[in-house]
Amino acid sequence: MRDGAEIIGSAVIPVGTGTSGPARAMEAALKDAGLTQADMDVTAATGYGRNTLSEAGHVFSELSCHARGAYWLFPGVRTVLDIGGQDAKALSVLPGGKLGGFVMNDKCAAGTGRFLEVMARILDIDLDTLSRLDLESQECVEISSTCTVFAESEVISQLSKGTRPEDLAAAISRAVAFRGCGLLRRLGLTEPLFMTGGVARHGGVVRAIEAELKIPVHTDQRAQLAGAIGAALMAYDKITREGE
Amino acid sequence: MNRMEELLRAFRNIADNPKAQLEKYRAEGKKAVGCMLYFCPEELVYAAGMIPFGLWGARTQAVEAKRYLPAFICSVLQTTLELGIRGAYDGLEAVMIPILCDSLKGMDGNWRYSVPHIPAIPVAHAQNRKTEAGVAFTASQYRKVKARLEEIAGRAITDADIRDAVSVYNARRAVMRRFLELCARKPGLLKPSERNAVFKSSCFMDVREHAGMVSELVALMEEAPAGEFKGPKIVTSGIMADHPNLLQILDDLGYAVVDDEVTHESLRFRADVPETEDPIEGMARQVGNIEGCSVLFDPEKNRGKMLVDLAKKSGADGVLLVLTKFCDPEEYDYVPIKRMLDAAGIPAIQVEIDQQTAENAQTLTALETFRGILGY
Amino acid sequence: MDDHIERKPAKIRLREIAEKATQDAWEAKLRGEKVGWCASNFPQEITTTLGIPVVFPENHAAGVAAKGGGQRMCEYAESMGYSSDLCSYSRISFAYAALKECPELNIPQPDFLLCCNNICNCMIKWYENLAVELDIPLLLIDIPHLDAFPCDEDRIRYIRAQFDDCIRKLEELTGKKWDEERFKEVMAISQRSSRAWLKAVSYAQYTPSPYSGFDIFNNMAVAVVARGTVEAAEAFEQLAEEYEENVKNGISTFKAEEKYRVLFEGIACWANLSYTFKTLKNLGINVTATVYGPAFSFLYDNLDELMAAYSYVPNCNVFERELELRVNDAIRHKVDGAIFHINRSCKHWSGTLYEMERQLREKAGIPTVVFDGDQADPRVFSEAQYLTRIEALVEIMEENKRKGARK
Repeated sequence: MRDGAEIIGSAVIPVGTGTSGPARAMEAALKDAGLTQADMDVTAATGYGRNTLSEAGHVFSELSCHARGAYWLFPGVRTVLDIGGQDAKALSVLPGGKLGGFVMNDKCAAGTGRFLEVMARILDIDLDTLSRLDLESQECVEISSTCTVFAESEVISQLSKGTRPEDLAAAISRAVAFRGCGLLRRLGLTEPLFMTGGVARHGGVVRAIEAELKIPVHTDQRAQLAGAIGAALMAYDKITREGE
Repeated sequence: MNRMEELLRAFRNIADNPKAQLEKYRAEGKKAVGCMLYFCPEELVYAAGMIPFGLWGARTQAVEAKRYLPAFICSVLQTTLELGIRGAYDGLEAVMIPILCDSLKGMDGNWRYSVPHIPAIPVAHAQNRKTEAGVAFTASQYRKVKARLEEIAGRAITDADIRDAVSVYNARRAVMRRFLELCARKPGLLKPSERNAVFKSSCFMDVREHAGMVSELVALMEEAPAGEFKGPKIVTSGIMADHPNLLQILDDLGYAVVDDEVTHESLRFRADVPETEDPIEGMARQVGNIEGCSVLFDPEKNRGKMLVDLAKKSGADGVLLVLTKFCDPEEYDYVPIKRMLDAAGIPAIQVEIDQQTAENAQTLTALETFRGILGY
Repeated sequence: MDDHIERKPAKIRLREIAEKATQDAWEAKLRGEKVGWCASNFPQEITTTLGIPVVFPENHAAGVAAKGGGQRMCEYAESMGYSSDLCSYSRISFAYAALKECPELNIPQPDFLLCCNNICNCMIKWYENLAVELDIPLLLIDIPHLDAFPCDEDRIRYIRAQFDDCIRKLEELTGKKWDEERFKEVMAISQRSSRAWLKAVSYAQYTPSPYSGFDIFNNMAVAVVARGTVEAAEAFEQLAEEYEENVKNGISTFKAEEKYRVLFEGIACWANLSYTFKTLKNLGINVTATVYGPAFSFLYDNLDELMAAYSYVPNCNVFERELELRVNDAIRHKVDGAIFHINRSCKHWSGTLYEMERQLREKAGIPTVVFDGDQADPRVFSEAQYLTRIEALVEIMEENKRKGARK
């Protein structure tokens, strides 16, 4: 980001921390901006791998970063639902973008991106296709299990009975949505609601949350970057304040 | 290293090496009896000339225990049973098993078949613990326990022995309360992990030895300058708050634990045993005076009121609810307790702890974030 | 009974008795009387003698789950902050206490709570929360888990003191008066009901069994909510008579060929009742033993024995005695195998089943399987897992039959 105001380069690499992922992501983002690490005035890290990134001069908890990043993407946001690859969080945002309260999911894969990955594999389609397949659903089918493993066997059972993948895609989206809505209700939801994290790009889940809560779910195609944006902004704040 | 640092290191060493402690006492010719969580009549063990050893699970994996316990039974009992099966508790003459929660109710049966060489002594407490009938019942059960302990110790336990033990245990409770008060008055003097070690070590020591060390520590804390602590101050609440990873995080993030409502920590020391003519009756009454524990009948949720008071009196910025994973009583309490904290305007978060897991990334995130929310 | 007047079948009478119990409580509430929520194994002799209307949230939760509302209500409780780890009966109850109504089934809201922890200590936590949430009185009869069988004098004394204390407090609370004569009457009727229930259930010892084992799950509601009434006693006696008739005529309410007989251990999966039942039926498996026979027969000849009887409920007794009940049932009712429901909601029960399964297998000489499920939350059940496990059991039972290995 430049001057805390615009994104000049970004990258998303779909691998976890502890792999070549972080380095590749840094490289790709810098390349996208046409700059090098030496050009950076400050670098900050957030997320699970935040304490192992040597280039990071600052680390911030991803909850604060997601709140901040969401506020930048959608000023006036009051509640953020962040569903990532392995966890889900609901954040309440105070006016100005500061974090109010938060609720995190149980240590469990169901209701996260991982769940969607598993389901896409079973249906033998890619995530992108899965995210749009619910639009062609005609019949309401239910996947009730809270456990990913049980849900897997439910989907397989349904497929073998001839249930349409479109209907299963809608059911899968609803299952993830319900977990997210559960977090929001535990937190106490104030509109407007903004979704961040990779699953925000899964249209089926967004639609299912809107149907369940009967309120608009705002998002942005850059929503997966919300954490990184927040970290950059918080780092920017630090150096400009220190400069004063 | 100054004397206070030496003492704190000693507490931590004892807390982390219960087996060495057991071997030390056995080498001295003493017998030891295990006491599973939450509350046991330790004074009776002591009155028989034996050492009570607190059994609160361990940071390990349950493998053998899974033949007896489904995965959703709490880790404290999973790991306690595991250590029993693996032989880590060999050397104990017996284990006392209170029936204060549902999973403990089944522990007697499971233990007898999986660890047959260490006799189990079930201990029943009255849940209607403040009524005369409840006190009488708890006292009757303590007398049964006394009879078993006499067999094990190979000697009679007289009322005078018990009165003596009660007096010694009350003296230790008193010095622990001074310790609690100093932790609140001088936050930051002890790191959270150091404060915890003073409590945890009590599970593996002769009561007089422990009281002696705590007395010395308390005198040093009294002398030490108050200093100006600039970090976040919290009160912890739950069954246990001793997970090494949790303590590490609290230390690293610069938290001070100014007070607690944790069963493994202060709740065992807040209420004295009334010194009655029949000492066992006094011990039974004491159970009625313990407040703040999720496994003791609490129809008015005094636990919540107590927690709010503790937070206010100790000048805490917020409350950390430490949820032992799969602990039903704690999960039930969370809702009304959180509501009472919210009503009192006291910031609070809950983190989940599991003895079978080395690290929980969510805990670090939550505590970092909480520190930010508290304004630090 | 006049021969020309046809009696309703016992199961219909039983269903009507259960419905009437709730209806009576509604009418009492409308009249302005205080109504209580009561634990399933609370000494009903107290409320029946005093004539105090009570309803049973456990039964309510089971009914809600059976009619398909389990997941919705559990999710509501979770949105209140209750962990999904907690007993699903209690989660449904918290949701109901907050929402005040439920399309599947409604019971009057409580003015007071009667708790008994003989079945588990989660009851205490559940009722504590209701008391604080609704700001109503809570009376607890604490029945400490046995460490030996039979129940000792100290426990009996303690239970008796609480029993008496509860009566006094209820008199104050409701204005109703205790009547010793009525108490004797209620005890006599309760004994009659209990004996009749035990007798009816015991007909499963015949081959084929004259009834479908899953019927117990429905019929036992009356054992909980009305066993102190003459209507219940008569209905259970009729049930026993019907089963006797069935035995004579070689017929059964189990509408399939009874190829295998099993002991079903655990609470029913109310939210998955149809699937769990049909899977067994399609494979010719009839349940001929469950713990619910002895569970609801409180037999006593004097007050001390009454107190002790409430400590003999499943989950309160010593392991060896609980095992003995299962073994005896398995042998007497000639089962070919056993199915263990590891109920996610019930840590107390599930926490002793692994060892019980092993010992039952050995002592009764039968094959056993376990499956994961829940009493009221449909999300914790896998049809595929259940089917696989049951089919595996069938293979072993079939093999045993061929070898003539039934002991």
